[in-house]
Parts: sequence; structure tokens; C-alpha cells
Amino acid sequence: MSEEVLVELRHVHKKFTTRHVLPVDEETRKRRLFKKRDVHAANDISFTIRRGEIFGLLGPNGAGKTTAVKMISGLVRPDSGTVFVNGLDVEKKRRQILRLVGVVLEGTRTSLWPLTPLENLIYYGTLKDVPGALLRPRAHDLLDFIGLKDKKNIQVRRLSRGQKQKLAICIALIADPQVLLLDEPTTGLDVLSGRAIKDKVMEMTREQGRSVLVTTHDMHVAQELCDRIAIINNGEMITCRRTDELLDLFSEQVFVFKLNQSVDPTEFSLIPGIISAQMEESSEGPSLVVQVVREPETLRSEALYAVPSRLWQSGCLLHAVSQRQQNLESVFLHLTDSAVKR
Amino acid sequence: MSFFRVMKAEVVRSFIIMRRYWFRTLTGMVIGYGMLMVLIAGFIYSKGGAGDKISQFDNPAAATNFVLGFIIGMFAFGVVGMFTQGLQSMATTGVLEQLCMSPHGLAVNFMAQTMVGAVSTIISSGILVYAVTWSVGGMLHWDMFPILILLTLTFFNLVGFGFMVGGLVLVFKQVGQIAIIVRMALFALAVFAREEILNQPWPLRFFLHMLPITDATISIKYVLSGGQMVDKITESGETIQVFSSVFTHPSFYWLIVSCIVWTVVGLTVFRILEDYSRSKGTLGSY
Repeated sequence: MSEEVLVELRHVHKKFTTRHVLPVDEETRKRRLFKKRDVHAANDISFTIRRGEIFGLLGPNGAGKTTAVKMISGLVRPDSGTVFVNGLDVEKKRRQILRLVGVVLEGTRTSLWPLTPLENLIYYGTLKDVPGALLRPRAHDLLDFIGLKDKKNIQVRRLSRGQKQKLAICIALIADPQVLLLDEPTTGLDVLSGRAIKDKVMEMTREQGRSVLVTTHDMHVAQELCDRIAIINNGEMITCRRTDELLDLFSEQVFVFKLNQSVDPTEFSLIPGIISAQMEESSEGPSLVVQVVREPETLRSEALYAVPSRLWQSGCLLHAVSQRQQNLESVFLHLTDSAVKR
Repeated sequence: MSFFRVMKAEVVRSFIIMRRYWFRTLTGMVIGYGMLMVLIAGFIYSKGGAGDKISQFDNPAAATNFVLGFIIGMFAFGVVGMFTQGLQSMATTGVLEQLCMSPHGLAVNFMAQTMVGAVSTIISSGILVYAVTWSVGGMLHWDMFPILILLTLTFFNLVGFGFMVGGLVLVFKQVGQIAIIVRMALFALAVFAREEILNQPWPLRFFLHMLPITDATISIKYVLSGGQMVDKITESGETIQVFSSVFTHPSFYWLIVSCIVWTVVGLTVFRILEDYSRSKGTLGSY
């Protein structure tokens, strides 16, 4: 992966206003004449995507992921802030940027169902201004690359959902874009199709040097694919780090104490150096889950000594102690939950 | 150059679909023919003033006039529909988002799509007009040059109007439903448009002239049905028919004016609303 930045969002804001006529008021349960509501889809969002990088954008429904994708592709104009692709301002050089960006948006058919995959690629290639001499060989190469070679002359309506999604990726790639934006690329696909798409995304970045932005709900996809991850919630950027850093951020801090009986976790959360303490019940019995500070190390160490000592004092039997291995899902839940509480 | 590349893609796409679904194309035409004949029969045997209507159809030229109005109405209905219902269905399927991301721009893509769609509509409508006119015993005056000029002007007139409505659909997707009423109104106007409807007080007359279909229909009927002939009273008081080119007909000039107005207004409104829909975030979505 190179350090060259291909996509940059700089302090981007976007607010959508929804208007409802005769809505039911949630508090009073009475019908109002008119209601106007502002939704912040992007609130001072800034991030960069480097050449050859897979960048993941995570967030719950309505967090603003698709809006970010649409702002990069010029489908939505930011209220303020700037979006750059390959150093060009999307608002000022939209036509040029459309040649650099390929997009697969979530939940759309994209392809023309009465046509075959090959015909679709030639149609969209012409619309995207791909020179005639390059178009047909490139369409064949793409179908070969994505694994639709034997389906190239079958009408799209006869293809499976996974195959249609693969075709949508081919359509996004037909103009040979440097940046590929994939909005929920594996949603609704079976394990095999999802796997195939993940492999192809890897190949596109690692071997072909493209930059890919993936928005997804699937933490496994993000953890497996992405070099860096940004988590957004209600239009606000919660974090943006390398995937391993993000996992590492919490992995050393959560410890599980397996006990013979439940204890009151609040008295543990008062111990200096402990961020949170809670009881969890499983088939193996109750466990006290404690999250400690990372630094300073002495405080962390004291907190970890204090927990078994306090358990001993309360007459509780300690069966085992383990460090919880974090996955992206728990990191995501932790971060979005903290953001909501804030 | 850019427009012709898009046009080429659209021609290929339409041709593939037409060829692949040839049976649907053919049955569509047969159904169209049947519907027209039933409509004519219904018109003749309807209750109110049936006698007058039957006598009207004793003259095949009147039936031809009706058929022509119907076909032009269908044409208007179809062209404006490509910008409204067509746009809505593309937005639903996600094809619109891909078109929005074409470097040629949405307006160029739409223009090409509509032109290709219009050519196939004109060909199938031409066959229908001929078949129905022949069935009712009427006669058409196929004067190709004026007809091509008139159809081109009519097309751009409707496209301009369609761009305006289409722009509104980009921002307010529900406008598409209201547009059906507008299309029906255009259709009705085309069926009943003749020179007499312009005998109104000037504000209403001006409004009728500015509608994209009034003068187009009058001019096309004047050529195809009337054969560009007008009544002239000779010095001896005898009424004779003389040739008077459509290019000297007032409706032709009004057609040019409304064509320019609608093309400029339509494209300007479309660009402004396309830009506005990007701000609202409704471009390409439904």
C-alpha cells in the first residue's frame, strides 16, 4: 500500500431535512399538522483513503455511511467541507472524477435484467466513455476475473443474487476506476458468494493497486478485509484507525473472572484503574468481566491485583481468569454505545 | 461526439431488447390496433348524439383525423412518460444512479434514451396509423419532408416539456404520479385538437399555443389528413381547394416558438433541479 492519498474528506457536513405531514407525535401520541426533522448524515467527517488500501466504514443503520459514499461519487453534495478524489475537488471537477470512481450501491439492481452480463458491460462501458477498442476485451477480462465467464451470454434476470452482485462490481470496474466504492457488498449473499466477493476485493487492491472503500454491517467482512476502519454514528466519526490497532485498543484491557457465585459489580467498578465491571451469566456459571485502564501500567497492575483480593474477601471462589480476545463486533458495540451515552 | 456515443449504446440496447422480446413488440402493435378500432366503434355507437357522430364518420377523413389525434396523443404520452415513469422505474432499480455517474451527464443520457425510444414509437405508430386508416377507409397524405420536420419539432417540444417534468421528478419523486394526469391531458388535447379550439379569448389562446402538443397536432393533421389543402373562394363565388404549404400555416410558427421555449425552459429547469436534487440527496434514489 502506498502513502499516496486518493480520496480525502475534509471537514464534511451534510444535513438532511425530513418533512412529515400529519405525523403522530411520539410523546403525546397526538397527530400534529406538520413536523420537520433534521438528520445529520455527516458532522465534521474527515478521513483519507490511500492507494491500494481497503478502507472500511462501519456504523449502525442511518449512521451516514451511504451518504459518505454518495458524496465521494458526487451523487450528494456536502453542505460544507470538501471531498477530493486524486487531488480534484468533487464539486468542481465532477465529470473528471466520475471517470476515476466506480460505485456499487446497496440494495440496487444496477444491471439491466433483459441484457446479458456482457451486453450490460458494453452498454455501461460506452456510457462511461470507455474507448471502443478497449471495451470488449476489458468486458471479457472482467467477467473472467469475477468468475462469470460461463454466464456472460445468459440474461441477467436468470442469474443468482450473488452473480448479480458480482456483475454490479464488474459494471463499477468497467471504466477501470482507481477508486471502488462498495456499499454493503456482501449483504444478503450466501457464504460462498460472500467469500468470492471478498477474495476479489482483496485481489483488486493487493494486485491491481486500486483503493476500495467498503461500508458494511458485517464485522467479519470488515475485520478480514480492511486495512483501516472508521466507525461513524449519527454522522459523527467515532474513530479511524488501523484494524489491528482498533482491535488492540481493547484486547488487553478486558479480563474475565469465572466465579462460583454472583457478586455486586458496582463495588469493583469503584476500584481505581477499573473502567467498568459487570456480571455475565453463561452455561459455565457467573463471570465478572472487568475492563481496566491501559496506562499507567502500575495503576493497571494494581487494579488487576485488587480484583481477586476483593473476591477473596467476599468469600467468592475464583475458578479461572482469562483475557478476553476482542473482535471487531465488540469494539464496534463498545464504541457506538459509548458514543450514544455521550 | 459524446451524445452520439451514448446514442449508439441506447440504439444497441433497444435493438437487443426489441429482438429478444419480439413477440411482445408484435402483440403490442396488434393490441394497439384492436384498441383503436374498438375506440372508433365506441365513439360511433356512443349514446349522446350518436346520429351526428355516425354522420361524422361517413366522412373517412374525420375518422382519420381522430386516429391521427389518438396516435399523436400516444406519442406525447409515451415521450413525457419516459421522463416521468421511466425515471421513477430507473430510480427504483438503481440504473438511474449509474446513469447519474456517467461522465456524459444525465441530460445527455436521457436525451439519447428518449430519441431512441421515440424513433421506435414513430415507426410502430406509423404502421398503426396506416393500418387503422386503411381499415376505416380513410386516406393519408404522406408528404415525407414536412412530416419529418413536424415530427422533429414535436419531439423536441415534448422532450423540453418532459425535461421540465423529469427535473421535478428527480427532486419530488411523487410528482411522477401527478405527471400521469398531465400526460392524460396532453393525450386528450391531441385527440381533439383542431384549428377551431384556438378560437378563444387571447390569454386562453396563448396558453393553448404554448402547450407542447396543440400546434404540433394541428400541423400534423393538416399535412397527413388534410393534404395541405385549404378552401378558397374564387371570383365566381365557387369554393375550390388549393395547396397551401404547412410551412406557411400559423400553427407551424407557433410550433417553432413553443419548441424553442420548451427546449430552453426544460433543459434549464432540469439542470437546476438535478443540481438541487444532489443537495437534497434524492438524485438517483426513489
